[in-house]
Amino acid sequence: MISVYELFIALRHLTSRRRQTIFSVLAVGLAVALLVWSQAMMVGFTDEMYAKTVDRMASVTVEPKPDEDYIHLYHKLTEDIWSIDGVVGVSPVLTGQATFEYKDRNKNVVMQGIQVAAHDSVLHINDDIVKGSFRDIEATQGSVVLGDALAEKLDVDIGDTIDAAFPEANPAALKVVGIYDSGTPLDKTLAITSQSTAQDFFDVANVVNSIIVRVDDREQAQAISERIDAMGYPASSWKETNPEIIQTLKLEGTSNAIILGLIIVIASFGIVSTLFMVVMEKTKEIGMLMAMGASRRSIMTIFVMESGILGLLGAILGVMLGATLAIQMGSYTYEVGEEAMAGITTIPFVVRLQDAVIIVMFTFLLNLIAGIYPASRASKLKPVEAIGRE
Amino acid sequence: MSDEKIIEIRNLTRVYGDGVEIRALDGVDIDIEPGEFLAIVGPSGSGKSTLLHQIGILDTPTSGTILLKGVDITKMSDRERSKTRNRELGFIFQYHHLLPDFNALENVMMPLLIKGVKRSEAKKIALDLLEEVGLSDRIHHRTTQLSGGENQRVAIARALVNNPSIVIGDEPTGNLDSKKSDSIYELLRRLNREHNQTFILVTHDEQMAAKTDRVIRIVDGKVVEDSRDGVPVREI
Ligand SMILES: Nc1ncnc2c1ncn2[C@@H]1O[C@H](COP(=O)(O)OP(=O)(O)O)[C@@H](O)[C@H]1O
Ligand SMILES: [Mg+2]
Repeated sequence: MISVYELFIALRHLTSRRRQTIFSVLAVGLAVALLVWSQAMMVGFTDEMYAKTVDRMASVTVEPKPDEDYIHLYHKLTEDIWSIDGVVGVSPVLTGQATFEYKDRNKNVVMQGIQVAAHDSVLHINDDIVKGSFRDIEATQGSVVLGDALAEKLDVDIGDTIDAAFPEANPAALKVVGIYDSGTPLDKTLAITSQSTAQDFFDVANVVNSIIVRVDDREQAQAISERIDAMGYPASSWKETNPEIIQTLKLEGTSNAIILGLIIVIASFGIVSTLFMVVMEKTKEIGMLMAMGASRRSIMTIFVMESGILGLLGAILGVMLGATLAIQMGSYTYEVGEEAMAGITTIPFVVRLQDAVIIVMFTFLLNLIAGIYPASRASKLKPVEAIGRE
Repeated sequence: MSDEKIIEIRNLTRVYGDGVEIRALDGVDIDIEPGEFLAIVGPSGSGKSTLLHQIGILDTPTSGTILLKGVDITKMSDRERSKTRNRELGFIFQYHHLLPDFNALENVMMPLLIKGVKRSEAKKIALDLLEEVGLSDRIHHRTTQLSGGENQRVAIARALVNNPSIVIGDEPTGNLDSKKSDSIYELLRRLNREHNQTFILVTHDEQMAAKTDRVIRIVDGKVVEDSRDGVPVREI
């Protein structure tokens, strides 16, 4: 238990050397502010990263049974997947390779046959269209939507007709009815047609070779993928198909926190050294307090409290400062290289209460612990020696 | 063990130093009765302060015992030592050792606050004592704003505030001119009579010593004279 006089003395020590106190609080405050600010940026960046990558890709991808090339009963399977809780989109897709030729240019592409409404429910493709529309591929048999980079490469525009061919496929003339821009490298290779156009081209009937699924909570993707697995079709969640995304985010998050945690440790060491100076300065007073009957424990408590109070004040100041700065900066948007940052164009800052609480507690505890050493030095002083010989 | 003795010192020895040994106290025996006002005198370096530190439980002797109200303080735990210092002892040093961050009133209240007395109560007692030492109009001043004599009065009030049974002073007037010394001495003497507390004062001021009830003279860590009003208390 802390007694009132210990707190009284600790507070008085802090208010008497106001300049040192302000300096210590500021040092810790700035370090904490930096941590809060950067954490807010990290969280915002992560959210944005998810929004621009994970949330744009299929949450779960379902493949044909291990010894088969195609998913045959895909209507039934699609319905079964729809009936799983948390599934908000299901799209059967027939994917294959094709060579596109227009005038003297040609290009190997990935051709996907989709159902527009179903595919939009998973990948929101309609948001990415820049010219024409996806609806037209279902209205007109033998039409295609191209990625903007692919269209540029082939030098085609809406209304142009491309020759599509591939070994074992039925050559076809495909009319360009739309151009999309997803901001990903897929824009260079992907061509999207209706499912029936694709089935005609690849010369198959009523089959697809994948079903992609969107779930409303990305963290549930793994569980839902396992349920589909149990239906006999190999399914993998985005975490399995893109392990590098999580890896990257985790790595950056951790190294960031470690570096900034260290800054707080350094700032707290500033408090320790200040406290050592105070203990030296106050040796005679400590001796006198002991002569008056203050126990060693009390002396210890007084100085640990001083360190703790400085840490707490610094932490609170830092959180307010960092959060204010982050919220301020978060209200602006910054243009960063689009393709370079996986399509991220703005970095919103996200200040989470839980981060603030953890940082305050961490800093407070750190300073309590840091205060122990100088405080124990003070408490171990011998009263006679502390008072000094006259 | 006799009831009249408040302090019984037996064969007390304090040896300093590794290498060259200094016997600062060498087999000291003293009995002190409650309410006595006594002076410890002797040349510089003779062991007066060392003796006072043993009685004040600020140091631990090399050998020997000190009974305070029948309890051997040399064998006390750290906790008991703190408690005994707080309840039974009041200290006045040559330099006042007031806490510079606190004003006179707060300094005088401090031993009570350490004891756990309520603030309002502590304030009342402290104000009474500050009045007794004649500093009622200086209670909100800090040590830097007070003169040497005033600071020493605050220190005296602080030493007495817990109503200790023993007040020890190590040259409490050593830092003051003779006029101020006299008035501090008169103050201590008056407080001793009013509160019936035991006062043990180290001084090298023979004149002041002569005015006390009893003089103990120490040379080279040994008691060479112990007399009450010029009459030996015991043969040395
Ligand atoms: N902490 C110490 N370490 C070593 N020697 C000490 C210490 N304190 C006192 N002494 C020595 O013990 C002797 C008695 O000192 P002290 O009690 O201060 O004398 P007085 O108060 O009578 O002047 C002196 O020789 C002094 O140098
Ligand atoms: Mg001395």
